[in-house]
Amino acid sequence: MGREVSESCVDSLLTEMVSSYCDRFYANKPDLAARRIEAIGFQVGLQLSERYTMERPRFSDHLEAIKFICKDFWSELFKKQIDNLKTNHRGTFVLQDNRFRWLARMSVDPSPENGDLSQDNPPAENKAAQATSMHLYFPCGIIRGALSNLGIPCAVTADISNLPACSFVVRIKA
Amino acid sequence: MIVCVAVVGHQNNPLYIQSFTEADDALKLHHIVHCSLDVVDERVNNPKKSGPTLNETFLGLLYPTENYKVYGYLTNTKVKFILVTTDLDVRDADVRNFFRRFHAAYVDAVSNPFHVPGKKITSRTFAERVSTIVKSFGLSSAG
Amino acid sequence: MEEYPEELRTPPVTLISIVGCPELHTTISKHLHSEQPPINTLALPDFTKISLFSKPEPADPSPSPPIGILKRDWLTKHRTKIPSVLAALFSHSQLSSDPAAWLQVCSHIDQIKTVLRPRNIKLLVVVVLSDSNEDVSEDRMLALRKRADLDSKYVVVFNQNEYSQSLQRLGSVLAELANLYYRDEGRRIKLRIEKKTFSSPGLELHIRYCFKVAVYAEFRRDWGEALRFYDEAYHILRQMIGTSKRLPAIQRLVEIKIVAEQLNFKISTLLLHAGKVAEAITWFRQHNASYRRLVGTPEAIFLHWEWLSRQFLVFAELLDKSSAVIKNISSLVLATTEKPLTEWESRPAYYYQLAAQYLEEKRSSFEIALSMSETANEINNSAESVVPSTYVGQFARLLEQGDTFVMQPLTDEEYIRFAVAEGKRFQDSFEIIALLKKSYESYSNLKVQRMASLCGFHMAREHYAVGEFNNAKPLFEGIANLYRQEGWVTLLWEVLGYLQECARKHGAVKDFIEYSLEMAALPASSGTDTQSFRFKDCGPAGPASLAQREVIHKEVLVLVSGESGLASVENSTNLKITGDNPLHLEIDLVSPLRSVLLASVAFHEQIIKPNSSTLITLSLLSQLPLTVEIDQLEVQFNQSDCNFIIMNAQRSPLASMVDDKQGCRVETSPSLTLSTNRWLRLTYDIKSDQSGKLECTSVIAKMGPHFTICCRAESPASMDDLPIWKFEDRVESSPTKDPALAFTGQKAAQVEEPDPQVDLNLGASGPAFVGESFIVPVTVISTGHAVYAGELKINLVDVRGGGLFSPRETESLSMDSHHVELLGISGPEGEDETQLGTDEIKKIQKSFGLVSVPFLKCGESWSCKLEIKWHRPKPVMLFVSLGYSPHSNESTAQKVNVHKSLQIEGKTAVEFSHQIMLPFRRDPLLLSRIKLVPDPDQPASLPLSEKIVLIVSVKNSAEVPLRLLSMSLEVDNEGIEGSCSMQHEHETLLDPALLVPGEKFKKVFTVISEANSSKLRLGTVCVRWRRDSVNEEKSGSTIVSVLTTQTLPDVNVELPPLVVSLDCPPYAILGDPFTFLVKIQNQTQLLQEVKFSLADAQSFVLSGSHNDTVFVLPKSEYILNYKLVPLASGIQQLPRFTLTSERYSAGFQPSVTASTIFVFPSKPHFKVADVEDKRRESIVAE
Repeated sequence: MGREVSESCVDSLLTEMVSSYCDRFYANKPDLAARRIEAIGFQVGLQLSERYTMERPRFSDHLEAIKFICKDFWSELFKKQIDNLKTNHRGTFVLQDNRFRWLARMSVDPSPENGDLSQDNPPAENKAAQATSMHLYFPCGIIRGALSNLGIPCAVTADISNLPACSFVVRIKA
Repeated sequence: MIVCVAVVGHQNNPLYIQSFTEADDALKLHHIVHCSLDVVDERVNNPKKSGPTLNETFLGLLYPTENYKVYGYLTNTKVKFILVTTDLDVRDADVRNFFRRFHAAYVDAVSNPFHVPGKKITSRTFAERVSTIVKSFGLSSAG
Repeated sequence: MEEYPEELRTPPVTLISIVGCPELHTTISKHLHSEQPPINTLALPDFTKISLFSKPEPADPSPSPPIGILKRDWLTKHRTKIPSVLAALFSHSQLSSDPAAWLQVCSHIDQIKTVLRPRNIKLLVVVVLSDSNEDVSEDRMLALRKRADLDSKYVVVFNQNEYSQSLQRLGSVLAELANLYYRDEGRRIKLRIEKKTFSSPGLELHIRYCFKVAVYAEFRRDWGEALRFYDEAYHILRQMIGTSKRLPAIQRLVEIKIVAEQLNFKISTLLLHAGKVAEAITWFRQHNASYRRLVGTPEAIFLHWEWLSRQFLVFAELLDKSSAVIKNISSLVLATTEKPLTEWESRPAYYYQLAAQYLEEKRSSFEIALSMSETANEINNSAESVVPSTYVGQFARLLEQGDTFVMQPLTDEEYIRFAVAEGKRFQDSFEIIALLKKSYESYSNLKVQRMASLCGFHMAREHYAVGEFNNAKPLFEGIANLYRQEGWVTLLWEVLGYLQECARKHGAVKDFIEYSLEMAALPASSGTDTQSFRFKDCGPAGPASLAQREVIHKEVLVLVSGESGLASVENSTNLKITGDNPLHLEIDLVSPLRSVLLASVAFHEQIIKPNSSTLITLSLLSQLPLTVEIDQLEVQFNQSDCNFIIMNAQRSPLASMVDDKQGCRVETSPSLTLSTNRWLRLTYDIKSDQSGKLECTSVIAKMGPHFTICCRAESPASMDDLPIWKFEDRVESSPTKDPALAFTGQKAAQVEEPDPQVDLNLGASGPAFVGESFIVPVTVISTGHAVYAGELKINLVDVRGGGLFSPRETESLSMDSHHVELLGISGPEGEDETQLGTDEIKKIQKSFGLVSVPFLKCGESWSCKLEIKWHRPKPVMLFVSLGYSPHSNESTAQKVNVHKSLQIEGKTAVEFSHQIMLPFRRDPLLLSRIKLVPDPDQPASLPLSEKIVLIVSVKNSAEVPLRLLSMSLEVDNEGIEGSCSMQHEHETLLDPALLVPGEKFKKVFTVISEANSSKLRLGTVCVRWRRDSVNEEKSGSTIVSVLTTQTLPDVNVELPPLVVSLDCPPYAILGDPFTFLVKIQNQTQLLQEVKFSLADAQSFVLSGSHNDTVFVLPKSEYILNYKLVPLASGIQQLPRFTLTSERYSAGFQPSVTASTIFVFPSKPHFKVADVEDKRRESIVAE
C-alpha cells in the first residue's frame, strides 16, 4: 500500500482545516472549534492505527503500545521517530518531537528573545500561541484516537514551550 | 467451504456478519459466532493456553462444533474476525492466509472517511471483496 | 451412566470361593473384602454345593457360528458365580483323627478336582488348626498334598492361635492364586486369538475373546493390557460394520453400537482413571467421528441420535467425575500437537450441551418415526413380550411354549415397533432440559456467559415448548440482556419474540407492549446483513426485518388505541387497554425502550431570572418503524408549577385529559408526529418565580386514550448513545439545531433569587477603638418591596480568617476571650429599649446575632444599632444580611436576601509611656546595675528611700481628637506591705484635656520607695477618655467615657551603698567663681574606700584635688569641695567626676545631664515670676 501524498498538501490541508473551524464555523467559540478539530484527529488516528497495526502481534501492555506510537506510527506519519519518551510509570507519558513537522513551517514571533517587545504586546504573543495550539489539537486527536483504538483510553495535551520542539503529554485514564 | 464470516467489534458487538450457506441456518451461525467470542475471551485472558506464539493475532481453532470448525483472529485494536467452515481438514496456512486478506479488506473498509468507527460495516465494496476472498479460500493451496 | 449395569460400571473384583469349616467363613470373607485390592468371597456351606461350579456340557460340540458378540451375562458370571480360586478348609480333626474322616477328606478333594478342572479354577487347601498343640503329621500333610495334587505352597496351615497372621497369609496366597487364574485364563483366550485366523463371520468371536482378555486383565489390575484389548475389540467391531450379515440390518447396527458403547465406556474410563485426560478426549472425539455418520435406516434414525446423545452424556459424566482430579486443563491442551484440543473439549459442559443437542435431534426424528408407525396402528400388542436376549444389544421375543419360554428373533419392523413403544415412555423434553441445565450451570460457573446463554436459550425454548412460561421467562430475559449489551440484534430479536409470546400467552399486557415496542424499535432493517432466515428457525416472531417490525408496531398501535381486544391473542380477553385498565410505561436511562422514545430537554440559558421567561427545547426521538402520532405531551419539572401540556392540534382534545389538569398551562402544537430517527423539536418559553434548581424530570407522552409513556428527560450534553442503535450506521443528528446547545445543553437551570428592593445601610463611622462600645447603626429601607418576616443576621468575622478569639485564650472562659464581641443590638432611634421585645432579639452571641425585623410597608424604614466592643486591636468584617419575603404568604413565598458587609478597623485609642527620674544630681551606686550586663527584661532598679519622679504620658494614637477626662495611678499593693508611698492626684481634670491626634499628655507622680523589695509594683495607670465629638451637645450623655488602663512595669528597689550628690548653683555667670561640692554618702555600716578623680574641663578653671583615695565612714558623708570659674557661656559640661568603690570594685559617674550647668554671660535679671516657670523650676529642682 505504498500510497503517498505530498507533504505540502497535508500541511495546507491542516492549515485550512484549522482556519475553517476557527475563523468560519465556530468563529467565536474556540472551545468548540478545538473540540471539532480534535474529533477529526481522533477519527484519523483510529483509522490509521487500524492500518499500521496490521501484521503485528498484539501489544501486551501500555508501554508497548506507546512505543509503537513513538516509533512505527510516528515514522509512518512524519518519517521520523519521536525523539524522547519519558514516563512517570503511573500512566503519564511525555513524547517529545524535537522538530515537529507540522510546526516547522509555522511562523513564530520574529523576536521571541526580545523581552521588551513581548512585554509590550502580550496579546499578540498570546494570539500567536493560541493559533499554534489550535494546530496541535489535530495531532493530539490522532494520538488519542490511535491509543484508544489500541484499548488505552487517555487524554492527550501538547506543550510548545520551546518551538519547534513539541511535547505530547499522554495521560492514561485509569 | 466457508459458511460464515464475521467481524466483531471490541464491545463484542457484531460489525459484519455474513453467511454463505443456503440460508437455512443463518441464525444458528449467528449463535455459533457469538459463542465463539467466549473462546476468544478465554484465549486472550489466559494467554498461556493459546497457540504457538504469544499475542499472535491468529488465534487458531476456537472450537469444533459437530458440523463446523470455528477459527478466530484478534487484531491489535480488539476487533475479532471469526471464520466458520464445514471443511473437516483445513490447513492452518489457508486459514492464516484467509484472515490476512480479510483483515486487509477490513482495514480498507474502515479507513473510508465516511465510515464512522465502531459502527457496522455497510460498505458494498467490502462485502464483494469478502465474498471473493471466501470463494478463493483453499484454492491457492490446492493449486 | 446410571443405566449401565453395575458390573460394567465398576472395575471387576476378584472372586474366590471357600468351602468347609463354615465357622470361619465370615471372618475370612470380611478380611478378604478389606484387603487392597479387595477380594469377594463366595462361601459354600458344604462340599456338596461345589457342583455349582461344574461346567455344563455343551449342547452341540461342533462349533456353530456365533449368534452374538458378547453374552449379556458373561461378566456377571465371572464377578459373582465363577470363582478364581476355591479354598477348601479342613479342620485338624478331619485330618488327624480316624481314617474314616481322612477318607472323607480325600473324596472331597477328588470331587473338587473333577469339578474345578474343566474351569481351571485354582485350588487351595487350608488346614485349620484350632489349638497350638494340635499338629498334623508330616506324612498326612504330604498325603494331602499328593491327593490334592498341589504345590506345597498351596497347602496352607491356618492356625487359629495366630489369627491375623494366618489370615494375612491366606489372603496373600489367595490373591496370588487368583492372579494366576486370571492370567492363565487370559493366556488361554489369547492363544485362541492367535491361533485362529478369523474369517468375517468369526469377527464376533474375535471381539468376544479380546473383550474377555481385557476383562481378565482388569481382574488382574493390568490396566495397560485391558486397554489394549478393549481397543482391539473396538477396532475389530468397527470392521464388522458393513461386513456382518448376521442380523437384520437395523438390529445388526444396534448391536454393534451397543457393544461399541460398552467398549468405549471401558476405554474412556480406563484412560480417565489413568489421568490421561487428553488421550481420553482424543479417543472420544475419534469414537464420535467414526460413529456419528452411521445413522442407519431412516425409520431408525432416532435410535442413532439417542445413542449418540447417550455417548456424550456418559462421557460428560465421566469427565465431570474426574474433573475434580484434573486441575490444570491448560497442560492437557498442549499435550497433543497434531490436532490441538480446544478449551471446551475438556469441559463436561460441552458434552452435556451436545448430548442435549442430539437428544433434540432424537426427539424430532422420533416424532417422525412415531407418526409413521401410528399409521400402521398396531404397536402395543407385540411390544410387550420383547426382552433383551442373551447377547448384548440384541432383543428377542419371549414366547411361551408350554412351560418353557423360547426366544424368538425379531424382524426389523417388529424391533422398530418395540423401540417406538419404548421411546414413547420417555419425556425427552425433561431430559433435554436437565442436560442443558447441567451445561448451563457448568458454563455459568466458568463465567463463559455466551455459551451459557445459548444453553439457557435452548433450555428456555424447551420450557416454552412445553408451556412452562414461568420458567422460560427469566431465562429469556437474562439472555436478552446479554444480547442487548452486545448488540446482537438478530439473536435479540429471536429471544424477544419468545418473550413477547410468553407475555401474550400470559395475558401480561404491559410486558407484551414493552417487548413488542422494543422489537419494533430494533435496528433490524432490510439492510445487507439480513438474509432470508428460515421461518421456523426464527422463533415465534418470525425473521427480523423491517416488514416484521412494522407488523409488530401496527399491532401495538391497534392495541393501545383500545379499539379492539385483538383477535390475534388467543383465549385471552384481558389483553385490552381500557379506562379501567390503563397502561403506563416508564422509560428510564437504562431502559431498552429508550430507542422507542427518547426525550432530550435543554434550557437555552443556564441561569434565569425569576419571573422572566427563557426558552426550553424539547426534542423527541423514536426509532419505531412507522410514524407515531402523539396525542398529548406533558412536560414535568421538579417545580410542579412549571409543568405544561402540549396538545396536538390535529387531535380533538379528549375531554378527560383536559379535566385532569385544571389550571395547568396548555400549549398547542400544530403537529406531534414522530417519524423514524428524526428529532421532533419543540421550543417553548418557560418561567419560574421560585429560585433554585429548575429541572425537567420527565416527559409523558399520551397515545390513545389509556396509554402513556413516561420518559425520563435527558440533557443533550450528557446523553448516552442509544443502545444497539449506536452500532448502526445511521444518520445521526443532534437534538437541537444549535450545535453549541447540543454540546452543552442541560435539562436543568438555576433560577436566581428575585432582586431585592430593600436597602440595607450600615452607617459606621471611622475606626473603632479598643475598649469603647462601637455603635454601628443599621437601617433597613424598603424601596419597592414590603418586608414580611424579615430577619437580620449579623456576623462578625475576623478579616484575617480564623475565629475572633485566640486559641490560647479560649482556655479561660472569661468574657474577654473574644477579641471583638457583639455586645448588643438596640432598637431604632427614638424607640425605647423595652419596645424591642425579647422575642424580637432572637439571639445574640459573641460574634453572631439574629434580629427580627418588623413588618415594613413599602417606603418605610427601620433601624437598629449594633454595639460592638473590641478587646484587642484588629480589623473585623461585619456581615449583615436581611432575609425577608416580599409577600405576606409565608409558606410559599420565596425569601429574598440582601447582604451588606463592612470592614471595621479596631485600634487602640491611647498609648501609654512612662519615665522614671531620679533626684537631680544625686546618683546612687546601684549594685544590680553594674554587676550585670544590661538585660532588657531586667526591671529597672530604684534606690531605696529616695524620692523618685514618675512621668506617665498618654498619647492620642487615634485619628480623631479625644477628650481626656481623668488620669490616675491606682496602686495595687496587695501582698507587698508598705512598699512605697506615692503622692497622687486622684481628682479628675476639671477641664477635660483635648488631645488632638498624636498629641501627648503627661502627668508627674512622685514615688518614695520604702521597702527593700526586689519587685515593686508601680501600679496601674487609668485613663478615662471619650471621643471629642462635634455634636457633643446634642447627644449629650450618650457618649460614654471609656476607661483605659495599663499596668506599669515592676521595678526593683535596693539600698545603694554609696550616693554621690553634686552640689552647685542652678546657674553660673561667666567669670564668676562658684563652689562645686561633691558629697559622697556612705549608707552602709561599713567603712568605704573610694577612689575618685575629677577630669579637667575646658570651660572651667578649677581648684581642688583631682585624684585621691578617701575613706568614708559608715553612715556618714564625705564632702569634696571645689571652686570653679566658668570660662565660657552657655550650657557647659562640668568637670567629669568619676568614683570607684574599692569594696564593690565598681565605678560610676554622675549622668551627663546632672553634670551640666548653664553659664550666663552676665548676671541675669528675673523680674517676672511666671507660674509655669516656677513650676518647671520646681520639677527641675526636685
